[in-house]
Amino acid sequence: MQEIKGKFGPEFRPKPPLSGVVYGEIAYWIVLTGTVLSIIGVSMILTTNANYIDSTCLLNGLWGGDNPSAIWEKCAGTNPKGHWYLGKLNTGDGIAMLGIALACMAAVFGVWGSTFALFRDREYFFVVFAFVVALILTASALGIIHAGH
Amino acid sequence: MLGLVLLIITGLSGTVAAEESPSSMGLSPVEFFILFLVISIFIGIVAVLAGVGGGVIFTPLMMGFTPIDGLIIRGTGLFVAMAGALVAARPFLRRGLANIRLLYFAAVPYSASAVTGALLAVYIKQTMGVTGEAFVRLSLGSLVILIAMLFIFAGGRIEYPEIRKVDRFTQRVGLAMSYWEESLGSVVQYQVTRSWLGLILFSGVGLVSGLFGLGAGWAMVPVLNLVMMAPLKVAAASSKVLIGIGDTAAIWPYVMQGTIFPLFAVPCMIGLIVGTIIGAKIMIRVKAGFVRYLIIGIMLVSGLRLIQQSLTMLGYI
Repeated sequence: MQEIKGKFGPEFRPKPPLSGVVYGEIAYWIVLTGTVLSIIGVSMILTTNANYIDSTCLLNGLWGGDNPSAIWEKCAGTNPKGHWYLGKLNTGDGIAMLGIALACMAAVFGVWGSTFALFRDREYFFVVFAFVVALILTASALGIIHAGH
Repeated sequence: MLGLVLLIITGLSGTVAAEESPSSMGLSPVEFFILFLVISIFIGIVAVLAGVGGGVIFTPLMMGFTPIDGLIIRGTGLFVAMAGALVAARPFLRRGLANIRLLYFAAVPYSASAVTGALLAVYIKQTMGVTGEAFVRLSLGSLVILIAMLFIFAGGRIEYPEIRKVDRFTQRVGLAMSYWEESLGSVVQYQVTRSWLGLILFSGVGLVSGLFGLGAGWAMVPVLNLVMMAPLKVAAASSKVLIGIGDTAAIWPYVMQGTIFPLFAVPCMIGLIVGTIIGAKIMIRVKAGFVRYLIIGIMLVSGLRLIQQSLTMLGYI
């Protein structure tokens, strides 16, 4: 590591790259929104009957070591895959899962924003890397990359 | 205290097993929420004091000492590691401490292999049943013991690694950057090297992270600091941001398969984040050495427990 001698004093403080700041801000605020939503959803699960999954049945399934498919079959009567929560937003489970999914989307939006910022800064070589990462994240989030059923 | 909580959980799971009635758990959803919130807060506090991410303790501990299905725990472990890393990323990027070029350079192999690992985890669960679960537990147990050994024998980090020669590939990629070092009151301009080796290692780390649902700071910081010779602060900050990106790629196969249950995932996430904040605040008043050995102990016990479980599943015990 080479420390640059002579560049002392706050006036030499390097400006953080815009692409990094953009990623950090987008990811932070989205994950925070997702967290708040998921807390609201879980509060509904704990205090109301507006639930998609029977909570007591879920706990018994979890503690009984049941696999996810068995828990879904027993406690919701179905085994939904993908973005099931989008059709269940009138339930606590649906809202809580929407919050979790939103938190899981935070980096996806962050990387796309950051890619555009890199492009603006003319860091074309790294735009390619960021673009590939954005594609991988988006394909994963949309279920294009999946394990099959 | 953590031991006490663990004891309660183990006791509860033992009761369930003994009575062969999962409905005899006896906890209401509210009690369940509070129990896992408290456990996760303690995991978060201890993890921060020991200088590791909560994810690396959460998954082996939960898999070793609760009866909850391994795929659910791994998906949840990945989620809590990801959420914590995303929240922590912001200040590192605002201060320019995380190297954005290095991040995207490493994120390509890391996220591609993390998503592959997650798909592999779901595939093993769907096709190999108990045998697959046993091999996953055996591998995770061995890995956790290996990580504990790494903490004991290879804990040395270099604050400002000395680079004698930057290889041609790394020079062409251009990963050099600078940041403002508050403690020195000066700009630190740094190079990295051996980026080709970093690419290979990040692929392996991503696969492990996605497959086992672990945060990967324990492996990423040494790769960045000791292999690619980035300054320690840059390595730690970049690793945290990278976990957020890579684990996002890996989490979705778990979400799509319905392995994330909010009633379990949300208290664990909140608990780990709150625990991390509390841990950071009490860090200055506590001797880190003791906590470090506590973490090593927890990891060794969890690892041995996972190996024991896998050998039982395979019929060797």
